[in-house]
Amino acid sequence: MDTTPVSPTRSRTRAAWAVPAAAVVAVAAAFAAPPLLASAAPDGLPEVTAEELVARVLEAEPQALSGTVVHTARLGLPDLSMTQVAGADPVSLLGGSTTLRVWTDGEQRSRVSLLGTASEYSVVADGTQAWTYSSSDDEVVHYAMSPQDAARAQELKATATPPADLPTPDELGRQALDRAQEHATVGVDAATTVAGRDAYQVVVTPRSTTTLVGRVVVAVDAQTWTPLRVQVWSSDDAATPALELGFTDVTFAVPDDAVLTFSPPPGAAVREVLVPLPDDASLAQAAPDDLPTSLPTDPSEVPLPEGVTVTGTGWDTIVQLSGVDAAALLAGDPAAVADLPRVDKQFGSEGAQELYEQFAPEGDGPPIDLDTAALYEQLTSPVEGGRALSSTLLSVLVLDDGRVLVGAVPVDALRAAARA
Amino acid sequence: MSLADTAPVHHRGATGRLVRSELALVLGRRRNVVLLVGLAMVPLLLGVVLYLAQDAGLAGQGPPFVARVTGNGLFLVVASLFLCTPFLLPLTIGIASGDAIAGEASTGTLRYLLVVPVARGRLLAVKALGALVFAGAAVLAIAVVGLVAGAALFGVGDLTLLSGTTVPLADGVLRVAGVVVYVGLSMTGLVAVGLFFSTLTEVPVGAMAATVVVAVVSSVLDQLPQVAVIHPALLTHHWFDFAEMLRVVPSADVLAQGLAVQAGWVAVFGALAWARFTTADVSS
Repeated sequence: MDTTPVSPTRSRTRAAWAVPAAAVVAVAAAFAAPPLLASAAPDGLPEVTAEELVARVLEAEPQALSGTVVHTARLGLPDLSMTQVAGADPVSLLGGSTTLRVWTDGEQRSRVSLLGTASEYSVVADGTQAWTYSSSDDEVVHYAMSPQDAARAQELKATATPPADLPTPDELGRQALDRAQEHATVGVDAATTVAGRDAYQVVVTPRSTTTLVGRVVVAVDAQTWTPLRVQVWSSDDAATPALELGFTDVTFAVPDDAVLTFSPPPGAAVREVLVPLPDDASLAQAAPDDLPTSLPTDPSEVPLPEGVTVTGTGWDTIVQLSGVDAAALLAGDPAAVADLPRVDKQFGSEGAQELYEQFAPEGDGPPIDLDTAALYEQLTSPVEGGRALSSTLLSVLVLDDGRVLVGAVPVDALRAAARA
Repeated sequence: MSLADTAPVHHRGATGRLVRSELALVLGRRRNVVLLVGLAMVPLLLGVVLYLAQDAGLAGQGPPFVARVTGNGLFLVVASLFLCTPFLLPLTIGIASGDAIAGEASTGTLRYLLVVPVARGRLLAVKALGALVFAGAAVLAIAVVGLVAGAALFGVGDLTLLSGTTVPLADGVLRVAGVVVYVGLSMTGLVAVGLFFSTLTEVPVGAMAATVVVAVVSSVLDQLPQVAVIHPALLTHHWFDFAEMLRVVPSADVLAQGLAVQAGWVAVFGALAWARFTTADVSS
């Protein structure tokens, strides 16, 4: 206790220093309060069952919206720190937090921008064509169909009539739920708030104890039934989700036209990629007249392409590809990637164009980035007979004999499957 | 600790005269002019180098924005600010704001200033204004020289945004002006920090160095994922959010967040500087 008499100057000094103390408290409160308020659990939402919820989501019309999405991956992969060095790049989605902006009119047109410090990677889709634009190398990639294919796609779309016995969303929802419940328990968790909106939560918990996936939680907007957040939890880590993709703010309104249109900026290098539309025969095969009125109940019923085998069931499924020449793919061997499209690179300056033409390889091989091989080396670690990528949710085993095994199980399980 | 003297008698117009003399001092001091000229050299040097090298096959390469300068002179402003923001600008601003009070104390002129019939709080505000004007002048020096050099060397035209959208020149100029204003306002927190350190010591170099160290430590912490939880509150964390101005739809939320953090630093360190300066013994 202070027993000495307080002198007027001392009390003035104290009063003066109380001002910064108050400022600290006020500033801290101003920054801490909004997130706390935003995460408050909503009340007054009517109860729903998992079945109703799934049906509502399937029934919901696609919404026109614009918003900010944060993607966080804690996959336990080596740190790549790509955005700092190379600018916004989809590779950055493999680790850490990435912010994306999303705009869609709920129909044909949308834009997704991956934000980096002072850089951006945009994907703009408009019906049958799409553009990607990377601000760090000022390159546009234009994906489009040939005019004939585009016309055919429009025609197919116009003539396509939904089969009369198309399952209703309720039925489809129940089927999806039944299917999910074969290998997992599906429940509804307490309502939450995502991006300031009330949301229901569906929790899917695998029954298997050997899979790396602990549970999947989807938060669904209570008004529009639009999924607002997906969290995938690893069985290794109960504290934080291994993968999280969710809106931090969202507005349900048709975005501005300027956002949804794209024309290549002057001076940018434009790469044209022709996307082939499968011919009528294979289209007919893909969508047979007797459209399945139920989801396939057994994975073995689905026809598999050659060289692909599936073992295990449910969440322990392991997909095996054979005859993959990983080394040739990484080296950009034209034979290994023969089907990849031709490149036509243009530069702003004439001198640069000449230099490029002088030194660019004559062959038609696509320019595989030099760091693809380095990236592969960095992500995978050597194991007996090949290399393995191990993350908190997914494992990949690349064997020297050309087999590639992928599954949501530990690497050891993949190796056991490879030996079998 | 005792207060040095009773508050002086207040005279009408004394603050105005003090502001005028402070601004003349800050902008007229030879060292400060040299600092401004040094900053202005950055866009000039960058522009000339890019102009001479534009046909060397390296066009379109380099750090963000630098690659785009040859296509549009407006980007010289943005590229120069991008290059100066991490270190050169904080250094210059640290020197000016760290010197504000400590400089007067070290030359023994602070006690004469306190005789001016103006309250200490107001004297501090005048000093803060001087430091802020210098910070603004530093950013403007880069921007104006960048604009002139960019227009002269490469010409200006429609601006291609980071999102790949091209906007008309008038819109582009507005967006670049927005970048300049945002960078200027982003420096206010550092000015407040410098002012506080300046009230602590009579050794101006100490205050200057401490201010620059705060900026450097802040950007180092910003790189460490282990302290990600404090990143949003760091002084330097939002400095590069000026890029928001060059996206197809600038997010007001992101810009407001950056400015709010600066306002927080200004509030805390401004209050600290005020508490220190109004209660300190001034003996020199």
